Amino acid sequence: MCGIVGYAGHRPALPILLDALHRLEYRGYDSAGVAVLEDGVKVAKDKGYITNLEAGLPEWTGVTGIGHTRWATHGPPSKENAHPFYDCNGRIALAHNGIVENFAALRDELKGRGHTFLSQTDTETIVHLVEENYKGNLEDALRAALAGLSGTYAILAVAAEEPDKVVAARNFSPLVVGLGTDENYLASDVPALLKHTDRILYVMDREVVVITPKSVRIIDYDGRAIAREPQRVSWTLEDAERGGFEHFMLKEIFEQPQAIHNTLLGRMTEVDANGFFEAGFEGVKLLACGTSYHAALVGKYVLEQIALVPTTVELASEYRYSPTPTERPLVILLSQSGETADTLGAAREAKRRGCRTLGVTNIVGSSLTRETDRTMYTRAGLEIGVAATKTFTAQLAALYLIAIRMGTERGTLDPEEANRLRDELRALPRHVQTVLNQAEKVEELARSYASARDMFFIGRGMHYAVSMEGALKMKEISYIHAEAYAGGELKHGPLALLTADTPVVAVAVRDRNHEKMMSNIGEVNARGSPVIGIGTEGDKDLEKFVDHALYVPQVRDLLYPVSVSVLLQLFAYYAARKRGTPIDKPRNLAKTVTVE
Amino acid sequence: MKAVILAAGEGARMGPLTASEPKVMIPAGNRPILEYAVEALVENGIRDLVLVVGYRKERIQSYFEDGGKFGARIEYAVQGKQLGSLHGLWEARALVRGPFLTVNGSNLVDARAVTDLLESGDGPAMIIAESETPEKYGVVALSGHYVETIVEKPRHPESNLVNGGLYLLDASVFPIVEPLLEEGHYDVPSLVNALAAKARIRAVRTKGTWLPALYPWDLLKLNAHVLARIGDLQSGTIEKDVTLRGHVVIGDGSRIRSGTYVLGPTVIGKGCEIGPNVVMYPSTSIGDNVKVQAFSVIENSVLMDDVFLGPQSHVSNSVLASGVRVASNLMASADKAEAQVEGEWHSVERLGALVGEDTEVRDGVVIEPGSIVGARCRIGPLSRVRGNVPNGTNVM
Repeated sequence: MCGIVGYAGHRPALPILLDALHRLEYRGYDSAGVAVLEDGVKVAKDKGYITNLEAGLPEWTGVTGIGHTRWATHGPPSKENAHPFYDCNGRIALAHNGIVENFAALRDELKGRGHTFLSQTDTETIVHLVEENYKGNLEDALRAALAGLSGTYAILAVAAEEPDKVVAARNFSPLVVGLGTDENYLASDVPALLKHTDRILYVMDREVVVITPKSVRIIDYDGRAIAREPQRVSWTLEDAERGGFEHFMLKEIFEQPQAIHNTLLGRMTEVDANGFFEAGFEGVKLLACGTSYHAALVGKYVLEQIALVPTTVELASEYRYSPTPTERPLVILLSQSGETADTLGAAREAKRRGCRTLGVTNIVGSSLTRETDRTMYTRAGLEIGVAATKTFTAQLAALYLIAIRMGTERGTLDPEEANRLRDELRALPRHVQTVLNQAEKVEELARSYASARDMFFIGRGMHYAVSMEGALKMKEISYIHAEAYAGGELKHGPLALLTADTPVVAVAVRDRNHEKMMSNIGEVNARGSPVIGIGTEGDKDLEKFVDHALYVPQVRDLLYPVSVSVLLQLFAYYAARKRGTPIDKPRNLAKTVTVE
Repeated sequence: MKAVILAAGEGARMGPLTASEPKVMIPAGNRPILEYAVEALVENGIRDLVLVVGYRKERIQSYFEDGGKFGARIEYAVQGKQLGSLHGLWEARALVRGPFLTVNGSNLVDARAVTDLLESGDGPAMIIAESETPEKYGVVALSGHYVETIVEKPRHPESNLVNGGLYLLDASVFPIVEPLLEEGHYDVPSLVNALAAKARIRAVRTKGTWLPALYPWDLLKLNAHVLARIGDLQSGTIEKDVTLRGHVVIGDGSRIRSGTYVLGPTVIGKGCEIGPNVVMYPSTSIGDNVKVQAFSVIENSVLMDDVFLGPQSHVSNSVLASGVRVASNLMASADKAEAQVEGEWHSVERLGALVGEDTEVRDGVVIEPGSIVGARCRIGPLSRVRGNVPNGTNVM
């Protein structure tokens, strides 16, 4: 998973490429590089953050170029393995996001034919394939090279012989074209281009794009022209700036009341049931990865209790290996970016199995929207921090809406109850604000536990899923080893790990599992581990049984996960800040995982 | 030129309206008071703004971000302890050079006032305004066109000219600021007084707007003032048999149900559900995500975001802060009222109820004119509320 960017225009390419790479840094940042057409092809690359690269750069003024920021898959992060790569003659440079599956075999063949390899990457095979096919036209050479390639990719290439041209190809990995005046752009993602243009062309799988300052041409692998209309995106660059917050993650945590409100906006009164959920399936299967998977686990309870539809949850990355049952559930796929390779793969597999599919994503026009029958957008706005926050709670809000719609269409949800639920959903942004108002208190607590080596999160029912998300946030950004257990599972093993130095975060809100949770807290207390209890506002009893209590507003059982999650996000954030970890860009992680 | 906007204060006198919001974020016409100051500066070509933030700074930062949405470039200076406005200005010292404007973010000023100040010439200057109740503000004594002193809340004001909270200063004042802070003078008027002894500070009268937000009921005045300038912009869904008269703004995703009658100027935010058969009189602001149920009447009031107003309620000259939930049949009528803030009584011409955020009001409650109900209270069914109710109280 990497970020790529290309420019063909009339201004010096270098500063434009570097600026765009900074905006793509969330996609990977263990090494970076650029290639600019100037007296042939010049390449500069280095290990580490983009600022490392910038430090040693000459002032090239060439007006065509490509750039790359890398997240290592094949070969460790190093200067040699950084993109772009030269061909043997140094006349072609190429950068790639994705994986070449047959690279080992290709590499042996190419070496046999006399090509020299300077890196351990799969990408280098592509540039040599292009070299072999190059007869003065780069797009023809790239098309020919792709014929022998299997895998996922978004590729950018430039050639010394064609100094005003950048050529690109896409299969599975994201790629967009930005349209300017006498200049055009290519990038992995829209935010990289917002500074320059809001007119965007989405490139589809198995398409080749050629940009020059004056033209953008899309062709298929057989060389036939494809017509496509540009779309205007409504994001502004300011959305991508931190606005006084120390980290994007904190900014995004504080944007949650608005994100949830926008997700619910105008949809509460939608009565025009369009029949999508009415009939034709017996159950629901939720598929997702990472944080979205935790939203899906909560979603199971939501769908089963509101819409009374039996629901299963599976990791999208495991779905294809599961047995193919005969029944055909409605498959709901959740992906913040809509570009998660595992989730896209699962969408195709679900279709292959004959299931109706619904995608839930935050990104308009993302690949998931094309791989599913219907799309529901969370409207959380752009999320930059690698650790998902507002898109998670927006996914929960979307799942409540789906459940209400499904229950209404299937007649399993009483209209009066549906009305009550909608009114309670309306109060969610407010409850989240109440939690955010306690940030100082959470910070104080998190700082006092930030030196822990291990941490445990426990909860029952849907709060087991919420605990998993809380533990994931803690791991991701603070690097504290954190584990989540269902309350009842502690005594089946993990209790052995508890000492006076392992803080335990227990979700013990006043829901149906409250009493059972309190006895689990008792088990922890007996081992002398400090307990941070999360309870319902006004529950004064909790303080007697835990070392520290934090509170969320009282809601019906099903709605607790939203405010509890926000509390756990703050807890992880402040623990990480105390530890001084790079919160917005944790090591080895990338925002959107476009490899399987 | 840069402008420093002082926005760090909590605004204790605003009572329950600042329970979790900084004072400058209180909405008038569905936009924070501070936004009008930002707008006035940008209209005068002053785009480089320093916001001094402190109390609940995240609320301000989340809204204004880097200023791009408002045509400005915003930097933030954090005032750790909110000692006072001069201390806030001091915290911005590293971000300004040469002449700069200083704006009190919780007053409503318009572009005209900023223009008048800028066009008055070089050198230190400040805006002064006429007030009917000067004893509540800083009264400015003049010597010719120049400021002699500012006296805070004199019992017997010598004139009706008061401090407009809008100054043209120069970075050379900072050496004077430091000793003032050390002596415990934390407010900008102390700086003006110290400066007036050494230099001439022009007093600039403006034909523009100066409306202070000092007490919670001032919000109704501010709200009516900004609503007088709104246009018509209606999105969302407006059902059959809805009557809209005068200037009415309705936000995205809102639904106005049948039989509702709205007299402008009135602004309704995004994602609201109004009606059926609701009546709204001028000048009313309804925030985002608000539900107003059947047969309710609202008059010259502010309902902030996430308010739920149950059926058959009457709300007049009142403020319901964010997240207030009313079951049904609330009676909050207006009359000439005596209201108490921080132990002082104030006579207000026409006032209904002021209800703090997240307070839950059950069925059939009567709140008497001039009562101030705190944040996060629970008011039991059929209660009658008179006078002030502290934050978090259960009224049975």
